[in-house]
Amino acid sequence: MTALILGAIVAVAAVVLVSLPFFADSDVIDAPDERAERRLELMDARDRALAALKELEFDHRTGKIDDVDYRRLVGPLRRAAAEALQGIDQQAKE
Amino acid sequence: MADLGRAALVVSFGLALYAACAGTYAALQKRNRLADSARNALVACFGSTIVAAIVLALALVHHDFSFVYVANHTSRDLSTIYALTAFWGGQEGSLLLWLLVLSGYGALVVLLNRKLLRDLIVWVVPIMGTLATFFSFILVAVASPFKTQVPPLDGAGLTPSLQNPYMVAHPPMLYLGYVGLSVPFAFAAAAMISGHTDERWIVATRRWTLTAWMFLGFGQILGAHWAYIEVGWGGYYGWDPVENAALMPWLAATAFLHSVMVQERKGMLRVWNMILVALSFELAVFGDFLTRSGVVNSIHSFAQSPIGGWFLGFVVATSLFSVALILWRLPLLRARTKLESALSREATFLYNNLLFVALCLTILWGVLFPILTSVFLGESRTIGRPYYDFFLRIFGLPLLLLMGIGPLIAWRRSSARALLKTLRWPILAALIAGGGLIAAGAGSSHPGLIAYTFCVFVLTTIVVELVRGTRATGSLLQLVARNRRRYGGYVVHAAVVLFAIGVAGSSAYQTNVERTLKPGQSTRIDGYTVSYKQMQKIPSVSESGRQVEDRAVLALGGRAHGTLDTSLINSSLLGPSHEVGIRTDYLRAQDLYVILSQQNADGSVIFQILVKPLVNLIWLAGFIFLGGSLITLWPDAREQRRLVARLALARG
Amino acid sequence: MGVTGRTRSPARLVVALAVAGVLAVFLIYTAVGGSEPLLQPSNLAGHNGNVSLTGKVVGKVKGDAGSTGGLRFTLHNIQGASILVPVVYRGAVPDLFKTGREVNLNGHLNGSTFVSTSMTTKCPSKYTTAPNSTE
Repeated sequence: MTALILGAIVAVAAVVLVSLPFFADSDVIDAPDERAERRLELMDARDRALAALKELEFDHRTGKIDDVDYRRLVGPLRRAAAEALQGIDQQAKE
Repeated sequence: MADLGRAALVVSFGLALYAACAGTYAALQKRNRLADSARNALVACFGSTIVAAIVLALALVHHDFSFVYVANHTSRDLSTIYALTAFWGGQEGSLLLWLLVLSGYGALVVLLNRKLLRDLIVWVVPIMGTLATFFSFILVAVASPFKTQVPPLDGAGLTPSLQNPYMVAHPPMLYLGYVGLSVPFAFAAAAMISGHTDERWIVATRRWTLTAWMFLGFGQILGAHWAYIEVGWGGYYGWDPVENAALMPWLAATAFLHSVMVQERKGMLRVWNMILVALSFELAVFGDFLTRSGVVNSIHSFAQSPIGGWFLGFVVATSLFSVALILWRLPLLRARTKLESALSREATFLYNNLLFVALCLTILWGVLFPILTSVFLGESRTIGRPYYDFFLRIFGLPLLLLMGIGPLIAWRRSSARALLKTLRWPILAALIAGGGLIAAGAGSSHPGLIAYTFCVFVLTTIVVELVRGTRATGSLLQLVARNRRRYGGYVVHAAVVLFAIGVAGSSAYQTNVERTLKPGQSTRIDGYTVSYKQMQKIPSVSESGRQVEDRAVLALGGRAHGTLDTSLINSSLLGPSHEVGIRTDYLRAQDLYVILSQQNADGSVIFQILVKPLVNLIWLAGFIFLGGSLITLWPDAREQRRLVARLALARG
Repeated sequence: MGVTGRTRSPARLVVALAVAGVLAVFLIYTAVGGSEPLLQPSNLAGHNGNVSLTGKVVGKVKGDAGSTGGLRFTLHNIQGASILVPVVYRGAVPDLFKTGREVNLNGHLNGSTFVSTSMTTKCPSKYTTAPNSTE
């Protein structure tokens, strides 16, 4: 008897969970917060660019990369980081 | 109660199927609410699976022998811990554990990403749902843990050799590893289906992959230690198909973890990464298939089970699916930047991939050989240990070398001269060490000598990196804390080096002799004096019936002192078994390992005595591996802020 | 990108294929040369040379593995009907050896008896049904 009741509870809970999204306004339940998601993506891009730059500086400082290679590589990385930071600023303004 | 368990599994199956079908439709037709519903179904699937798991766990603890599974794998006198361990001691229960971990990972991953990566999650849901559908189907229709019977008076009991702490930890850890590999696989497939093949899926799954890989690796070391002290043949790895089943996906996952670094930084090796993640997942499921189906001759015997056919079909279907996806998206995956030089860090990662995959496929070939020969040659042939040892050296030693070169070589392009300059200290250290080792007699084994020299090389590169970094940052702790991925990785590399030293020492340089001794006689081996003092006969009665333990008491001299016992236990029910005597020399990290082989009629005893140099480095390496992985997993301050932001967004 | 990329790729492809080919040849050679037949009592007859034999121990176990007479027992296919193969074993007896156990032996046929000095027992499986069941 207990088994039957518990089983019914499990089945009902499952049905409820599955049908929940249909009863709510689609804008309310778990609607993607587009702005926040975009901001996180931009932050991800910025972090990646800054990390790459930091790694390059670190390798240069510890002597793994010589001056010639450093000068060659630092330019594009700095540009990528600047673009990422600009992107975040722009989104904040929007 | 068995009905509840069965019903819960049917609900799991229904929910997984719904997640798979509705999820696919929702993704194709861009229906948000249906996608949310499918995602909820995946989460609910975890819920109903937990219910089923609790039912089985309670039945085990209460010794409810009306459950066929409980009767087959436990007995009344089994302690609670081992009764619970019997959960994964048999076919049906371990499948339920697999489903539990799978649905758990699935629920967690989609909940944590509720508002993020929606373009990927919308496909991850049906993919995880399909995997869960398969396993829940097997549990409902083919191998149910909830079959009932008229309860017998007592159950059959758990095999005594499985009643130890290793059985508590080893299988769940391996499962957390095997099943965890389905998360990156699902994301990779989602990336390919949605066409968003940039590194977002890799960044999103990095910690999941690392966690699964960490569990799979440490689980194997646990298994090796278990074999070493329990099975008692003096070794820790037998290249048995079941052991290989865990090693192969781990190797593929290791290659994947490294290869994605190149994609993150340079956008290269993207096809490789898709292949590697699919390979890791397929080998994990295939390994499970090998283990359960009884199709391969293994020291772990298994019944020829109908489940094998289902698993094989599943492996084939998912493999075809992966291949089709990769072929379809090949144009998208093509690298935008080309490999510039064979002497660059990108290239070393490529060589890394090649070597790992080669080793993987070699082992796979060895495992499948008996089946392939039986099908194509009409006669089943088996491959022995020498084959595996040979290829382990051929591929493993260069991999060891790459572990040292990789971190120091420059990106994009390096010259031979620049490389030699960067590596001058490691090369010097290796040469000096090599000379010293030859003088110390290590030249007796060429592979051993090469392995040791390479290990010194790699350790020196790690030390060089640490010194350089500490000089630049000022503090070692700060250095590691601020660059967790890199230095955590170096710690893991150090663990691998220790592991390699341990393996080389205990195999290439071990002493293995047989001595026949009468009471009072002694023998000298490698600086140890082993004296056979007396034989004690100890009868006892346990749940495995009557048994008599013949315990040989040995006195040690020379490098060790005190007594050492080694026994031969004769059980009326189970037959003979050995309790080996191990004396660990912590300073030298070596073991004196004595096996009581047999007793002769004249009172003399044949002992098999092994001296295994440096074997304990292997177990130490296991812990360092764990520590290094945790360092790599741990987010630094900036990452913590980002993770908190993501979590807040997910909660809404 | 473009043209320079294309002229570099074929070289790499050729190298990769060559390596793969060499490896394949090597693997097949080593595997076929270094392998031995994996047999059951039912298909053992006629094989000379070293083989790997797998079967189930049936009947009484006599003798002593340490003596010259060796441990004597009989082997039967693990599944299905088969002839019985008498085995003489000398050497260390592995854990859990007894009648009813599945074992793997390395050795050769001497007349109609299988002679072996290397044996492993299969761990009683976690995944088989219990010995008392009727399956």
